[in-house]
Amino acid sequence: MKLFSSFVKELKIASRGFYFYIDIFMAVLILAVFLFVVPDDFENKTDEYLYLDMPEDASEIYLETIQEETIDGKAESVTLEIKDQDKEVELYTTDSKEIFILNSQEDARYMAEEEQEISAVIAMNDEGTFDYTYYLQGYESDKYKNLLEIFHVEPNENVQEFVDNQEVRALSTNVETLSDKESILPTVLVFNGALMGLFIIAAYIFLDKQEGVIKAYAVSPSPVWQYLLSKVGVLMVTTLVSSYLVVIPLMRLQPDYLLMLVLLVTTAFFASSLGLLIASFYSNIMQAFGALYIVMMLMIVPSVAFFIPSWSPAWISFIPSYPMMEGFRSILLGNNDWPYVLTVSGIFLVVGSAIFALSNYRYKKTLIG
Amino acid sequence: MIKVKNLSHSYNKDEKYQVKNINFEVKKGEIFGFLGPSGAGKSTVQNILTGLLQLQEGEAVVADYDIKNISKEMFNKIGMSFEQSNVYSKLTAKENLDFYSKLFDVKTVDSNELLNLVGLEGKENVKAGEFSKGMKHRLTFARSMINEPELWFLDEPTTGLDPSIAADIKEIIKTKNNDGVTIFLTTHNMFIADELCDRVAFIVDGEIKLIDSPENLKLQYGEQLVEVEYIENNETKIKTFSTVFPEDKKALQTVIDQHEIKTMHTKEATLEEIFIKVTGRGLV
Repeated sequence: MKLFSSFVKELKIASRGFYFYIDIFMAVLILAVFLFVVPDDFENKTDEYLYLDMPEDASEIYLETIQEETIDGKAESVTLEIKDQDKEVELYTTDSKEIFILNSQEDARYMAEEEQEISAVIAMNDEGTFDYTYYLQGYESDKYKNLLEIFHVEPNENVQEFVDNQEVRALSTNVETLSDKESILPTVLVFNGALMGLFIIAAYIFLDKQEGVIKAYAVSPSPVWQYLLSKVGVLMVTTLVSSYLVVIPLMRLQPDYLLMLVLLVTTAFFASSLGLLIASFYSNIMQAFGALYIVMMLMIVPSVAFFIPSWSPAWISFIPSYPMMEGFRSILLGNNDWPYVLTVSGIFLVVGSAIFALSNYRYKKTLIG
Repeated sequence: MIKVKNLSHSYNKDEKYQVKNINFEVKKGEIFGFLGPSGAGKSTVQNILTGLLQLQEGEAVVADYDIKNISKEMFNKIGMSFEQSNVYSKLTAKENLDFYSKLFDVKTVDSNELLNLVGLEGKENVKAGEFSKGMKHRLTFARSMINEPELWFLDEPTTGLDPSIAADIKEIIKTKNNDGVTIFLTTHNMFIADELCDRVAFIVDGEIKLIDSPENLKLQYGEQLVEVEYIENNETKIKTFSTVFPEDKKALQTVIDQHEIKTMHTKEATLEEIFIKVTGRGLV
């Protein structure tokens, strides 16, 4: 009963303060950005600017070859601004690139020099073969330059035969993936939920210290752990509201929301307990800011490994935000990998409980500090 | 109700004690004043007795609970009014009291009744953050009564209040004491102590210099004088006579017999004067 009334009181205070609304506002903002700004899959096509220095009939044959690769078999006329002039050029769109056919060699150089684009001039020589001139930016790797050098060499017959006879087998053909947009959501859930919770609970504690109400609580028969847990409860509610606010409109019925509830609650419990523990060592938020900043920065590091799987050292998996992100990814995929999510949740619950117990011990000793 | 034996406390846990070897007892139903200037150690002792500071050396029993192994149940029996008001500014006056009342395991007083008692009627639904300093202080004071404490710790209960509200607060303290509540009053205001306390302790530099009732102190340390304002040869004169020495008594009688008396007051020493006399220190 005491715990419940403390929790209700904390909810009232939170709803009348601005931290609660910052969290909700951020969730609404993120949702709006995801709905109206972020595309489902990021554009990964490269732009190429070509000038064909060859007789018209040869260029027509060359363009027909390109046209065969386009998505709709058509070229479209677009306008490019070159040297402050609008110029009509042809655009061929394939699966992997957009090829602009320019009108002069100067235009090709201009696009490379002024617009930092990849451009090339393809010329027909006297022998009726093609010469390729590439305009590079200077930062291209040797591997890339070597590739360009051998790109137009006819393959050796044996090599071609060897390549054709290669057998390629996929070890798993049923891999589920998230769209580019959906892939960002696990980091959003971790940052907007757990990390914000870590910071906000510390802010709540310092507000109480500033108002002195923590002293009044200390001379009541209510135990300290209830005071702390009521604050953790408010952070859990805030995390749940802000997380579901973002995820439900974006993912609809794909995730397992019950499993998500378990992971959100346990990660929020862990992060807010950590925030409590950090706050117990300081008198005000200015003093605690350094420690909070370091912890938050450390928690952000795994997001690099999350987006660049080729960089994923073993130690990074020990940073709590890493399993949080992996857990949320698994839930968003909707692949029912509940053993993994429950294991991660269980670990956060156990470690969170240990940190909470330590915080309780610290606050019992230093409640009025 | 309170027993303190050889109590010492050092914030840095070294030999520099803020409170040194303090001994005193507070009887049930008594108003005990703990008097001293700022930094004398009053709040340190009070914080130890209310569990806000850990007991380091000595023994203390409060409301039959040993402070060494403090039990949360003890707080059902005690109330604490802080010098600095400390209420939730985002909650209304009533919400503040209602929340606090739910933290106790004993019967609590209706929050509206308490708000009326401290003159905050009509302000039930106003957020404490919108209150003046005095109103917040009254709310803090009201909160300390919510569990009908047997032992009531009051830290500077009238500081910063206007005289009429301070008078109301004093009346509440007297009434509660008449109802049997034991009161531990910490203050540097000697007039309040003089008016309310059954006994007072003078504390300076962490040491108790003296414990006695205000009446005894005045008898022991004060001079018994009468100040007379009278008219002699169409001039107003003021003279002070001792009521102890025979020649002064005779001279006073002569003035009364031969002149028109305008005013006549007994002039006993104030508690503040006695404090300065005993401790050699002022109260600020």
